[in-house]
Amino acid sequence: MQRLKRSLNYLIPAGIVLAVIIVLLLIIGADIGHVLNSFAGGLFGNRYQVGEIFVKATPLLLVGLGCAIGFNCGLVNLGAEGQLYMGAVAATAVAVNGEGMPKLLLLLLMMLAGIVAGGLWALIPGIMKAKFGLSEVIMGLMLNYIAIHFNSLSIRTFLKDPDYPFPMSKTFSPAAQLPIFLERTRFHAGFLIALILAFIIWVFLWKSPKGFEIRACGCNPRASHCVGINVNRNLIMASLFSGGLAGIAGFVEVAGVQHKLMDGISSNYGYLAIMVALLGKKHPFGVIIVSILLGMLEIGGLAAQRQAGIPNSITSVILGAVVVVFLLRDRIAINKQGVTNV
Amino acid sequence: MSKSLILLTSSLFAAVRMAVPLSYAGIGESVAQTSGVLNIGVEGMMLSGAFFSFFMTFYSGSVVLGILFGMLAGMVFGLLHAYISVTAKQNQTISGLAINFLVLGLTSFFFLVFFGDATSLPSIETLPVLPIPLLSRIPVIGPAFFSHDILTYILYLVMVLSTIYLKKTDYGTSLEAVGENPRAADTAGINVNKTRYLASMFNGLLCGLAGSYMMVVQFGFYIENLTAGRGYIALAAVTLGRRNPIAVFFVSLLIGMTEGLQFTLQSIGVPIPSQIFSMMPYLVAVIVLLLSIGRSNDPQTLGQPYDRMERE
Amino acid sequence: MKIEMTNISKAFFGTPVLEGVDFSIESGEVHALLGENGAGKTTLMNILYGFYEKDGGDIYIDGEKVLIDSPKTALELGIGMVHQHFQLVETLTVGETITLGLKEEGYPFSNRKQINRRILDLSSQYGLEVDPRKRIKNLSVGERQRVEIMKLLYRSAKILILDEPTAVLSPPEIETFFDVLAQLKAAGHGIVIITHKIKEVEQISDMITVLRDGKCVLNCNLKETDESCLSQAMIGRTLKRREREMRQFDLEKPCLELQEVTICEDKLQVLDSFSLKIAPGEIVGVAGVDGNGQQALAESIIGIQGVTSGKVLLNGEEIQSLSILKRLNKGIGYIPADRHQDALLLSMDLNQNMLLKKHFNSRYLKHGLIDDKKTDEYTRNLVDKYHIKAISNEQAIRYLSGGNQQKFVLARELDAGLKLLVVFQPTRGLDMGATEFVQNQLVELSQQGTAVLLISTDLQEIMSLSDRITVIYKGQNMGELSNDGDLDVLKIGYMMGGSKNATA
Repeated sequence: MQRLKRSLNYLIPAGIVLAVIIVLLLIIGADIGHVLNSFAGGLFGNRYQVGEIFVKATPLLLVGLGCAIGFNCGLVNLGAEGQLYMGAVAATAVAVNGEGMPKLLLLLLMMLAGIVAGGLWALIPGIMKAKFGLSEVIMGLMLNYIAIHFNSLSIRTFLKDPDYPFPMSKTFSPAAQLPIFLERTRFHAGFLIALILAFIIWVFLWKSPKGFEIRACGCNPRASHCVGINVNRNLIMASLFSGGLAGIAGFVEVAGVQHKLMDGISSNYGYLAIMVALLGKKHPFGVIIVSILLGMLEIGGLAAQRQAGIPNSITSVILGAVVVVFLLRDRIAINKQGVTNV
Repeated sequence: MSKSLILLTSSLFAAVRMAVPLSYAGIGESVAQTSGVLNIGVEGMMLSGAFFSFFMTFYSGSVVLGILFGMLAGMVFGLLHAYISVTAKQNQTISGLAINFLVLGLTSFFFLVFFGDATSLPSIETLPVLPIPLLSRIPVIGPAFFSHDILTYILYLVMVLSTIYLKKTDYGTSLEAVGENPRAADTAGINVNKTRYLASMFNGLLCGLAGSYMMVVQFGFYIENLTAGRGYIALAAVTLGRRNPIAVFFVSLLIGMTEGLQFTLQSIGVPIPSQIFSMMPYLVAVIVLLLSIGRSNDPQTLGQPYDRMERE
Repeated sequence: MKIEMTNISKAFFGTPVLEGVDFSIESGEVHALLGENGAGKTTLMNILYGFYEKDGGDIYIDGEKVLIDSPKTALELGIGMVHQHFQLVETLTVGETITLGLKEEGYPFSNRKQINRRILDLSSQYGLEVDPRKRIKNLSVGERQRVEIMKLLYRSAKILILDEPTAVLSPPEIETFFDVLAQLKAAGHGIVIITHKIKEVEQISDMITVLRDGKCVLNCNLKETDESCLSQAMIGRTLKRREREMRQFDLEKPCLELQEVTICEDKLQVLDSFSLKIAPGEIVGVAGVDGNGQQALAESIIGIQGVTSGKVLLNGEEIQSLSILKRLNKGIGYIPADRHQDALLLSMDLNQNMLLKKHFNSRYLKHGLIDDKKTDEYTRNLVDKYHIKAISNEQAIRYLSGGNQQKFVLARELDAGLKLLVVFQPTRGLDMGATEFVQNQLVELSQQGTAVLLISTDLQEIMSLSDRITVIYKGQNMGELSNDGDLDVLKIGYMMGGSKNATA
């Protein structure tokens, strides 16, 4: 009976989301079979498409890991988008000025620059919260816009490619580009970096004493304080890690996908990743799965748009609906449990 | 009038146009935040107002009906946010984010469904400009503030009324109590949850109106993601204006002025990049936040759900 | 107006809290309701105030039976209560606070000027100085209390119940408060004061009722009784003595020493020149009614609260400036009163909670990483040793019963080579079996040489376990008594009520 109840608790929310999708499709008068076909075809039709899934999933995974660390420490890293941009700018600055360096060294330096830039950008709201109890939400949000505009500024000034009239950086030399993992696709090594990082984070958070401290602070900061844990230091550390990972996402997007810096290098990855971390239950393995699923949703959705005329915006609707249903899962569940908060 | 005065007047006029949607949304958010509810979903609620007012205006032919429908749409999402935040007691930031994505998707989806096949951009008539007699003749201030459409004048009214509501009425006192110390308010017999629900729905209502304004006055048509981040600027305005409706309006005006200033400077030939101007409201908001350390006047329980059963 | 409560009984989850209690209060009378923690005084008043529902008995107002089902009803009948924790909104003015939730004339545009004038009239009537335009956050504690009382007077309350009103007041504020009481009494109000402070009772009350263990043990006029009688009534004489043999302790090299430790919070001295020595292996019990500085005492030793002045020494070494971690690493264990807030990670499982203090202890690590198998093994051993009932080690600790949670905290703390253990309310909320177990563990620990500071409001517990007993009252050490055959329990009662230990 318990098993039945528990599986129903997963099925009912899924059912609600499915109902929303079906209603929307019916409004358009779409042929559901055709839609499913194009969706699936978009995912597995050819190797390029499959690669695209991982291209989409990589930044979501990286930032999602960062947000998951934040959640585990009781932080909502709304500033992830800005940290991603700062990481992208820093990595680009290294790439453009480091021509002539051997590939591995250059890429490592770029990644380092991304980590430092993202980490420092996250430190601002982090320290504000740790030392002064200032909410990291509004601060992070404001810093996002400052970072986005700083990015725009950089590609029109100190990072601008002098040979082109458009605002963007010089195209990266091959040494500054991440190697492609799967030939004839855009699937780049960034995803592998992300997987490795996911594993490291898992080991750190769940297997190391320092990681345990971070989780304890997120679970009960008062009790952690009473046993001698320095909660402020852990908050700052979690902010740094969170920002650093978002910075790596910035590096990965310029080095692996665009091969240059421009406006709109992130399509709201920072905000999407918060939801990925939430749905992935704050756990690296969950984040991996959800980021790939979201990647599939995006790519399949694009194909469904091309071939079946389904507006791609349905992806946003689905994601929003899934998160809302997830937030309300305890109200929908059959055996009502107590209040849960992220 | 001299050239510089003309410039000033037109800058002010443009600033007011920019400030109106920011103020509507900002006033709504101020009320919600005073009651303790943090709403990041302002952007989504504004967007829903923009789309649904366009939808209704286009199909019914009546702008009034359209605007009302836009407000209703915003209110519905305000209700959803209240349900997630107050009843389900979930994280308010994530709720707001989810609503933003949901609305972005829904509006883009329905826009394509209903208007995607049009060969020309479907549009509606924008609201007429109604200069207020006498007042609009005052040099500079007149054309800048009193030669606008009816929604702008309604904003002035809303500004005054909401300030009175918050500062001078018992409703406002109760609202403040709910945000500062819900347990004390509860003990005094105030229904905390109901107050927060109403505040959130009012927030959605005004955000819907803000979006409707943008559509009906500034654009005259709908495009995907019409609001393009205005909701987030409104959040900055609320922070800078410390949840005071009149201050929020003036902050919004300033934000509008800096945009105008940017064009003016560029036309003179001063090479300050436009991004600096775009950054301004956010930069100032960050500085204000930093300065408010230790003297934060955020409602004590902003973003936190209230549980009567929880032990102190 | 005369209120009579007859034969009141109340039980919580099957445990009787009040049995057949009679109580009355009338206009112009100050009635003190005396008793220790758990005696039932607050419960009785919460029933009168409509917050709780009585199980049995009746309430009469002027001879007519009434049903009080909510605080709102109580107020309508003229009964109001001021709780220990004030319910005030910091940013509002006094005037707004007093009328919060009320629909005065002109609502919602209440005429503030008129209201403020009415408040000023009322306040001068009673000598309750309040400025309606001041904001709550700028008020002193004494002023806040006056606002709380004004809230009731504004609503025409005739009977006022005050719960431990002098608990947070400084001595001059207490004098002012007594003046206010006199004015209220003269104006014809009936006042019930819930308290444990015998000295104050003698100063201000007309009638006195003493509750003990849910029963009324004394009800008389002030003139008919004295301090010794009240003390005795409060704590009773039937406390069981300890059954262990007396041990001799040498205080030359104490394990824990507090030298004139003072903690000031908002001009109030939460701990007032508190001095104490505990020898290794000795159990010192700190008795006292809740709210007299126990929390500050415990936290000042652990480091959660810093001291304003004075020294804390562990085996001769000064630790008052050290971080919590450094102190705990020197061999201090802590079992706090609120285990949910201060000691446990409720959503995590037993294994994780076991790690909470020890995650850097190499015992649980392998190559620097947490060894799940070893952790599980250790946890399992302790679960068996302490008979902790849990479905498995992977169960979230929030699902364990209170007793098992407390046993868990104990198991975690006791497992290391402790020099000092600070326990605060170790058996509150535990059943008899768990209580006995915990107490036995404490004794065993002391026999192994650990110094134990036992802070508890349960006098029986203090008497059963301690080698020496001290009483804390308003942050001061009221005196120490050796827990041997000559112990005069009455003296403890005096000290808990506010008299310093007068050794003849």
